[in-house]
Amino acid sequence: MNKCKLLMASLVIFLTGCNLRVLDPKSETARDQSFLIQFSFALMMIVFAIVIILFVWFLSKYRENDQNKDYIPADEKGSPWLEITWTVIPFILLAILAVPTVSITFEQSAQTESTPTDAVLIEVTGQQFSWTFSYQNGVETVNDLRLPVDRPVEFTLRSDDIIHSFWIPKLGGKKDLIPGETRRMIVTPEETGTYQGKCAEFCGREHTKMRFTTTVMEESEYEQWLEDMKEKIE
Amino acid sequence: MTFELFNRTFFIATDVLFAYIVLIGTGLGVLYLVNRANKWSVIKDYVTTTHHRKIGVLYLLSATLFFLRAGIEALIIRMQLSVPENDFWVFQGDKFNEAFTTHGTIMIFFVAMPLLIGLMNVAVPLQIGAQDMAFPYMNAISFWLFLAGAILVNMSFFMTASPNAGWTAYAPLSTAEFTPEAGNDYYIFGLQVSGVGTILAAINMIVTIVRHRAPGMKMTRMPLFAWSTLVTAFLILIAFPVLTIALYILMFDRLFGTSFFSGESGSPIYWQHLFWIFGHPEVYIIIIPAFGIFSDVISTFSKKRVFGYTSMVVAIVIIGLLGFMVWVHHMFTVGLGPVVNTVFAITTMLIAVPTGIKIFNWLFTMRKGVIRLGTPMLFAAGFIPTFVIGGVTGVMLAVAAADFQFHDTYFVVAHFHYTMVGGTVLGAFAGIYYWFPKMFGFKLKDGLGKAHFWLFLIGFHITFFPQHFAGLNGMPRRVYTYTAEDNIFIFNFISTIGAFMMGIGTLFFVLNIYKSFKDPDKCGNDPWDGRTLEWSVPSPAPEHPFDPMPQVNTVDPLWEAKRNRGGKLPVANTSRSAPIDVTSWQPVSFYGVIMLFSLSFIYHVTWLQIVSGVMVLAFFALRTLTDEHTRLAKEGENHDNV
Ligand code: HEM
Ligand SMILES: [Cu+2]
Ligand SMILES: [Cu+2]
Repeated sequence: MNKCKLLMASLVIFLTGCNLRVLDPKSETARDQSFLIQFSFALMMIVFAIVIILFVWFLSKYRENDQNKDYIPADEKGSPWLEITWTVIPFILLAILAVPTVSITFEQSAQTESTPTDAVLIEVTGQQFSWTFSYQNGVETVNDLRLPVDRPVEFTLRSDDIIHSFWIPKLGGKKDLIPGETRRMIVTPEETGTYQGKCAEFCGREHTKMRFTTTVMEESEYEQWLEDMKEKIE
Repeated sequence: MTFELFNRTFFIATDVLFAYIVLIGTGLGVLYLVNRANKWSVIKDYVTTTHHRKIGVLYLLSATLFFLRAGIEALIIRMQLSVPENDFWVFQGDKFNEAFTTHGTIMIFFVAMPLLIGLMNVAVPLQIGAQDMAFPYMNAISFWLFLAGAILVNMSFFMTASPNAGWTAYAPLSTAEFTPEAGNDYYIFGLQVSGVGTILAAINMIVTIVRHRAPGMKMTRMPLFAWSTLVTAFLILIAFPVLTIALYILMFDRLFGTSFFSGESGSPIYWQHLFWIFGHPEVYIIIIPAFGIFSDVISTFSKKRVFGYTSMVVAIVIIGLLGFMVWVHHMFTVGLGPVVNTVFAITTMLIAVPTGIKIFNWLFTMRKGVIRLGTPMLFAAGFIPTFVIGGVTGVMLAVAAADFQFHDTYFVVAHFHYTMVGGTVLGAFAGIYYWFPKMFGFKLKDGLGKAHFWLFLIGFHITFFPQHFAGLNGMPRRVYTYTAEDNIFIFNFISTIGAFMMGIGTLFFVLNIYKSFKDPDKCGNDPWDGRTLEWSVPSPAPEHPFDPMPQVNTVDPLWEAKRNRGGKLPVANTSRSAPIDVTSWQPVSFYGVIMLFSLSFIYHVTWLQIVSGVMVLAFFALRTLTDEHTRLAKEGENHDNV
């Protein structure tokens, strides 16, 4: 029965296409990415539609039948005008796509951004097969990430062993953790809630289980939680 | 499972045990059948051959077997992922990781590559009017090196040491510190050995095409499959040595304690660069020949020459060139900075332009033609919409910031199966149905072929279309399970159903081959009303097929001859001398030696490394001293001197 419900519920998602985590952004970063996905999808649907229309049209119109069975089609080498058309139009479509691609990619490459003044700094360490999060006041958690809402968070990403990749689909794309190097990522969660986090780079036996939960809370709650955790260690 | 033997307890996983039983069972069955039908002479014939058609058949046969093996792995993966929190057989954790690693590795290197190289061997010499490949002996060596590599990767499973770091073998996971077992050594030696074979095959293709075209067959009159073979051969010549180097360095890291890919001065990112500088051209290496096949098939089955021949050629050349300038699109999330990311995003998008040109040229080849939907054409027709979906998602992935989301999710898995199954595999099937008469003298059955096509194509879309959504809903690739809250159950469940449909489709293909051999429909030289030279020679193609040598005056010489000359090709007054065909046990013995050599390194047996190393060198010496040219010159025969 449970399985059945699950099946129905997911069928609805399947048909509406919404609610997919990547397309249900909770930060500006993820929203921009979601926009790019939908924008590129729309542009590409134009191409796809044209190809399918021509494909169905030609295939049905020129299919062999009793009338044309013995007909030898006229020799036709090509057509410079047509060929130029389908060289130039894709260029234009791609140029249109390139503009937001370049601007958003630049915007999102955190290495070039300076740390925002009111940022929360969190150190993220990946190891086979768990995540350690250290907060500014010395608190450390495992696979349990807490963030305040509406404040920029700067993650400093490091790996203890091999390459992992830090990913919270609703808050933004992933960034790799490279052993011996440091990466940064900045996001500002805009809504409270609990979001899934995952390791996205295959890292060995239990890669599948290398997940964490992200809880975005009100600022005051967050401060309270940090205090409580701090007391626990002391 | 554990058992007692000689007072010791042995452990063997049930899947390996099961595979042993199946392998030994079918092995004995095949031996029995061969013996009963008294076919040992045929086997000897093929094992010692250096003839291009027979070597082509060997490639295709082994590729089909490996396709079945890697396909079974795909079904196992799909079984494990069919429902949330599943525990299918033993396939969780390492076992699952091994399954997708060998699935991917075998599909790319030992299925896609040999399917295409096999078809090139069968068709290209005949298409351009060559009597054989330029270097028949080397051609056999290429095949046996390929097979040695393939068997190494395949046997790892039976030695309970499958590679387990993904087909990309990212360091440092693939270094000895994290995966000390023999598995990734099998990967290194398997790919290294077969890679050498592939490079030799590429050299052979280039020389054959440059030197052995029939009189009058200018480059601008070559069929598009021959053109795509030429471009592919150059890509192989440039890309595969990069893989050789990468594997060589990784071998040093694993076996001899260097640290190129880890530690203070090394970096794991070097591996990614090397791997993808090879890896991206590699995906074009396995798609461009398929493009060539589709061009020939669509033109033949529409009774028209291909639309825009020149732009078709220019497009594959540009795709080949751009293919070397896009590798960082696999590394957008590494953090190489915005400039690098956007430059590579744009070069990647640019590849869509020549690819689009090809798609529209194919569509306009069909326009105003008479389209016969024989089985090869069905595969070509199924390819167009399927591949366009793969191309469209490819452009979406090129958008660097969007790829931060897509990267390493099932969206990517869906994308590359749309291109590799929708392009390479459909292309190989089209080619096999198309050229089968040239290999054996009879066609594959049309009815079974149609069943194969529809089951495979529909199954394909059912399998891979939902995976786009699974990816967008946050499912990373290379995971062996997921939870109910992930909300990806339905996508995975549908996907598993589709995979089994593809499996049944593939069984129809095997059945088709069996039935067609049992009850062959003999079909003459020209079963499809062909346009190019290969349809002017007898089926199956004999040795020295072009006698007298035709004079070529157009892109589709046979078609022109059928329209204007009653089917007789004009005869050339100059003739090309033929490469020297021999039969030799040397190539297959070399296979044995190189296997021994590789195994001695995989298992660190120093004395055997020395012995087999000396044997390899001895083989080089032996080959250097055998010279067919002097022998033939003494006998006064006309032969080719390349
Ligand atoms: C016959 C039907 C096929 C099915 C059902 C299938 C299924 C799959 C699945 C489910 C995965 C994802 C494994 C994971 O990420 O956990 C996968 C990976 C892969 N497949 Fe296939 N596949 C099929 C055919 C092919 C073919 C024909 C090719 C290539 C020519 C191919 C190449 C790959 C590669 C390269 C990977 C990546 C392996 C890795 O992550 O290291 N597959 N396949
Ligand atoms: Cu991981
Ligand atoms: Cu690529």
